[in-house]
Amino acid sequence: MQGVWVALLAFLTCGYFALAGFDYGVGALLRVVGRDERSRRAVLRAVTPFFLGNEVWLVAAVGVLFGAFPRLEGELLSSQHTVFAVLLAGLVCFTVAVQLRSSGWDFLLVGGALVVAVGWGVLLGRVLGGPVWLWGAGMAVVFWLHGAVFLAWRLSGELRARATRIAGVLVLPGAGFAVAAVVTAGSVPRPAFGVTAVLALASLGGVRVALRAGRHRVAFGCSAVLCALPVVGVFGARSVVTASVMADVSSLRVLTWAAVVVVPLVLVFQWATWRMSRAAR
Amino acid sequence: MDALGLARLQFATTTSFHFLFVLLTLGLVTSVAVMQTRATLSADPVHARMARFWGRLYVVNYALGIATGIVMEFQFGLNWSGLSTFAGDVFGAPLALETLVAFFLESTFLGLWIFGWDRMPKWAHLALIWLVALTAFASAFWIMVANAFLQHPAGHELRDGVLRLVDFSALLTNPTFGAAFLHVCFASLTVGGVFLTGVSAYHFIRRTAEVDFFRRSLRLGVVLTALATPPLVGFGFGQFPIVERYQPEKFGTVGAADGAGLGFMIQIGFALLLVSWVTVPLLARDLVVRMRFPLYLMVLGIPLPFVAAIGGWLFREVGRQPWLVQGVLTTRDAMSHVGADQVLVSFVAFTSVFAVLAVADWVLIARLARRGPVDSDEAPVSPLVPAL
Repeated sequence: MQGVWVALLAFLTCGYFALAGFDYGVGALLRVVGRDERSRRAVLRAVTPFFLGNEVWLVAAVGVLFGAFPRLEGELLSSQHTVFAVLLAGLVCFTVAVQLRSSGWDFLLVGGALVVAVGWGVLLGRVLGGPVWLWGAGMAVVFWLHGAVFLAWRLSGELRARATRIAGVLVLPGAGFAVAAVVTAGSVPRPAFGVTAVLALASLGGVRVALRAGRHRVAFGCSAVLCALPVVGVFGARSVVTASVMADVSSLRVLTWAAVVVVPLVLVFQWATWRMSRAAR
Repeated sequence: MDALGLARLQFATTTSFHFLFVLLTLGLVTSVAVMQTRATLSADPVHARMARFWGRLYVVNYALGIATGIVMEFQFGLNWSGLSTFAGDVFGAPLALETLVAFFLESTFLGLWIFGWDRMPKWAHLALIWLVALTAFASAFWIMVANAFLQHPAGHELRDGVLRLVDFSALLTNPTFGAAFLHVCFASLTVGGVFLTGVSAYHFIRRTAEVDFFRRSLRLGVVLTALATPPLVGFGFGQFPIVERYQPEKFGTVGAADGAGLGFMIQIGFALLLVSWVTVPLLARDLVVRMRFPLYLMVLGIPLPFVAAIGGWLFREVGRQPWLVQGVLTTRDAMSHVGADQVLVSFVAFTSVFAVLAVADWVLIARLARRGPVDSDEAPVSPLVPAL
């Protein structure tokens, strides 16, 4: 029973990083890929159908964290109070700026996306005991890459070419981050962490090869895996999740029924949204 | 102010902002579902145009409200880690159910609904908006279950220094849950009804050319308000004996803020009940529109149910102090070990961001509402709703 909930929490968190990751990447790249107002609109239009569906993975993950891991939730959030406060303020700015976009206020959109990306990096660095600046910069690169790959897939013509170039440039810094993260890892057991880094390098290679071959969906899959890998690293390398922080079996039993019904439903309907957007393109 | 006072103030501010968005969301989604049902059944295109126009206002409000909801959710762990440590097993269960069963599904359905305009079979699309409405009310259901536990803890036992869940059904049969939940549901329907009425009245004041469109919207608003206010008032007063029995000290310790809140709520509730029923006969042959002066009152009335709701909420929450979980956990003990300066930074950051957010929401909704129904091929005001 408890294993199921650790897996579900990991799944929802991975889903959030892999999906919302490209929102933040696209946000940060808005004015790099979109050189004029017309192309900026095209960039945003590519993300907006998925925006709602992406952000709610975070809400679901935190809900599960509260319900199934109440003592971890309180400990984690209150010990990282300021980082979370800054991250959330950035998240609110980003969400609102995407909604109410007017070109004079793009600094809120780009800045908000950057704050969120760096904020998650800082948090991961603190949890894993690595250097905070490395993780902050590294996660920003990873999300940028994911956003660029997404745009390369969803846009066409000159914009696609530009996004592809940006993604290509970011592969090498991404690889550097993966290696540096393992080398500088603190008390984390190296072997488990090393496997994650090898997978990260493989995904980065996959992005590069797939983009060259014009297989955009494969490239997107690889960069999505890349975004989720740090989360896998946390769950695999650090025993942050133990029975003592979890809710009692009596609580978990109630929640399990809900999860069994809802998670497949969400997956089916989000898949339907992706399918429909493909048909509409 | 010390850390505890700041954290309480922050919670009150965040929740009040969040509550404003939630009320309008619930009220509007129900109205849009009704409009879309009529659009699906009838050949008259006015219903589909109504669903589109009001649906756009709804989506803007929902999408901006999510931002307040995310902060709301994090706030428990940030400032009140004592609550999750001590009572998380019981209090966390309905909260997790809310995010999973209700919110996660709701947003997913809504994403597909927005994107599915003109792309889906109309019956499937209609089913989606009803699913959105259903999951939206399910959200309110679980949040009120969680809140009722704070008012009158039930279904738990103290084991190894923390509360453990022993009887889930006791959470649902909690006496402080049922009437309060229905009261909130009818409050949100009232908000929706008053909003439809007010915006439609504004267009009649400006002598709109869309007479049929806004006549139907105004009627729906007035009828919705008239139907929702009697049970609203009933379930409001129905809670007094329950509060008297389980939280008698609430009436004894009424202070300036919550006492005024309670008074405003009751007066506004009665006023809306009376006015809406007086207006119903005036709908015949559009008398209310031709008389004109009621139209101005309708526009002025838009903020009233929001004020009432905040007042009622203040009374319910402030009256419980010093307890966070009545009789079990004090607010002071639930506070995280964070310094006053940390709380102050996040308080200032969130409050200012939310103030901007609320103003932006109202400005955008007012702009969209003022523009009235336009043909869908015009440039979208909000990029999130390009399909609407």
